[in-house]
Amino acid sequence: MTHAIEMRGVHHRLGKTFEIRDLTVNVPSGSIYGFLGPNGSGKTTTIRLMLGLLRRGKGSIQVLGRPIPADAARVLARTGYVPERPHLYDSFSIGEAIKYHGAFFRTWDARRAEELRVRFRLDAAGRIGRLSKGETGKLMMLLVLAQSPDLLVLDEPTDGLDPVVRRDVLTAVLDYVSQRDATVFISSHLVHELERICDWVGVMDDGRLVAEMPMQTFKSGIKRLRVADAPSLVSDTPFVLLAREPGDGLSGGEVWVVRGWQDPMKQYFQGVGARLREVVDLDLEEGFVELLRTFRTPGA
Amino acid sequence: MFRQILLTQWKWSGLGVVVAGVAAFALPVLTVQQAGVADPTWLDALALLSAVEGWSRAYPLLALAVGLLLGTTAWSRDHRNQHVYALTLPLPRWHYVLLRYGSGLVLLAAPVVMLWLGAMLAASMASVPPGLQTYPHALALRFALAALVAFSLLFAISAGTARTAGYVLSIVGVVLVGQLLFSLAGGQTNLIEPVFDRMITWPGPFDIFVGRWMLIDV
Repeated sequence: MTHAIEMRGVHHRLGKTFEIRDLTVNVPSGSIYGFLGPNGSGKTTTIRLMLGLLRRGKGSIQVLGRPIPADAARVLARTGYVPERPHLYDSFSIGEAIKYHGAFFRTWDARRAEELRVRFRLDAAGRIGRLSKGETGKLMMLLVLAQSPDLLVLDEPTDGLDPVVRRDVLTAVLDYVSQRDATVFISSHLVHELERICDWVGVMDDGRLVAEMPMQTFKSGIKRLRVADAPSLVSDTPFVLLAREPGDGLSGGEVWVVRGWQDPMKQYFQGVGARLREVVDLDLEEGFVELLRTFRTPGA
Repeated sequence: MFRQILLTQWKWSGLGVVVAGVAAFALPVLTVQQAGVADPTWLDALALLSAVEGWSRAYPLLALAVGLLLGTTAWSRDHRNQHVYALTLPLPRWHYVLLRYGSGLVLLAAPVVMLWLGAMLAASMASVPPGLQTYPHALALRFALAALVAFSLLFAISAGTARTAGYVLSIVGVVLVGQLLFSLAGGQTNLIEPVFDRMITWPGPFDIFVGRWMLIDV
C-alpha cells in the first residue's frame, strides 16, 4: 500500500504548554481519511506541519512522495488546502479571488471553477468580506477543487455550516473523488459526518495519535460488553480492554468497553468463570469517546 | 502570476499611489510658481534659491510617505490571516517575496515618473537667472532612490511578525534608555549621535534623504 501522507516520529513544540509528540501518521493513497480529535488536540498543527507551514522539530514528513518542507512548493501545487479559518483577502470579489487563485496553479480548471460557482450559487461580484459563513465555505471548496489536486487537505471544512451547505460541500468533494483517484485528508470533530464518508480514521488527542485504522475495523472492533461474575483481575485478554465499570443497578455485573472484538472471543469469558450477557455495537462517536476516555485515564 | 500580485497591490494602495502621483507632479510646478521663477526680475538669485529650498523639504517627505504606503500595504493583508494564504501557494517563499517586492516597485515608479514629468514641465516654465540651472532629472533620480530606500526598508520591516517588530523596538528602546541613564550618571560618551550620523551620511542608507533637493540650483 502506498501512502499519500507519511509522518514518522514527528515532534513539534507549540508555545510553552503544547507539543506534538512522536507522531506517526500514514494516509493510504486514494483513501478518504478522517482525522478526529477534540478541540485543541493538535489536528490543525499536524496539518500545518504536513504542508510545511510549520517546521518540525524531529522526524520526517513525506507528502505525495516528496519530503516536507524541502519540496513544499511542489507538494502544494498538487494539494488543495482548506484551512480552519478562511484565509482569503476580504477586499476581493468572488470573481477576483477565483482569478487570483487560479493564476498560481498550472492544473487550474477554469471550467470546473465556473461550474462550481454556478452550482454553489455564488455571485462573482460578491465581496468576500460580506459573504456568509456558508458562502465562504463553498468558495473555499470551489477554489481547491478547481485546482484539480491529487490530495485534498480539509481542516474542519464544514464547521459552523448549516446542514444544507454542509451537504453541498461534502457532495462536491465526493463527486470530485469519484472522478479522480484523489486522496482526502479531512479533519473534524463532527464524528457522524466523517462516519458517512471516510474509509480510514485517525484519532488524535493531546498531541498524540491515539489510533489509526480502517473505518470498518474501528466501527466493528469497538464493543460494549455486559459481563456477569467478572473476575477481579483481568489479564491475557484476546481483545484490548479500554474501560471497565460497574453495570446499572438492574442488570448488575460490569460493563466493559473493548477494542479488537471478534465473536470467537466469547469463549474467553467461560475460561475465566464469567458470563457474557450482551455484546453492544458502538457507533463511531461512542467508540471515539470511549477511546479518548481510556487514553486520558490509563488503567480505567 | 505577477499580474495578479500587482493587481492586489494596486487594489490595496492604488488610491494612495494616485494621490502621491498628483502630489509628485504638482510639487515642482508649485515650486516654480510660488518662488516666482516665471518672472524672476524682482528677485535676485539668492532669494530665488532660498524660496526653492523652502519647497525642497517636501520631496524627501513625499518619498518617505510613498515608501511607507507601499511597504506596509504589501504585507498588511497577509498579516491579517497570519500569512496562511501566502504560505500555501505553490511557490517558494523567496519567490513570493520577490513578486510582492516587484509589484511594489512597479507602483513606486508611478509617482517617480510623475515627479519627473512635473519637474521637466516646471523647468521649461522657469526663466532662470544667469548662474543658476534647473535639475529636473537629478531631482527625479534622487526622489526615485529615496523612495526606493524607504520602500525597501519598510517592506523588510513589515514582512516580519509583530514579535520581530517588538524585538527591534525593544532594542532601540534599551539603547535610548541606556544612553539616558548613562548621561544622567555623568557619562560623557554619546553612543546614539555617532550612529545617527553614520546613518545619514554617506554611505549610510539615509544619506539620500538629507542634502539638497533643489530643482533650481547653482
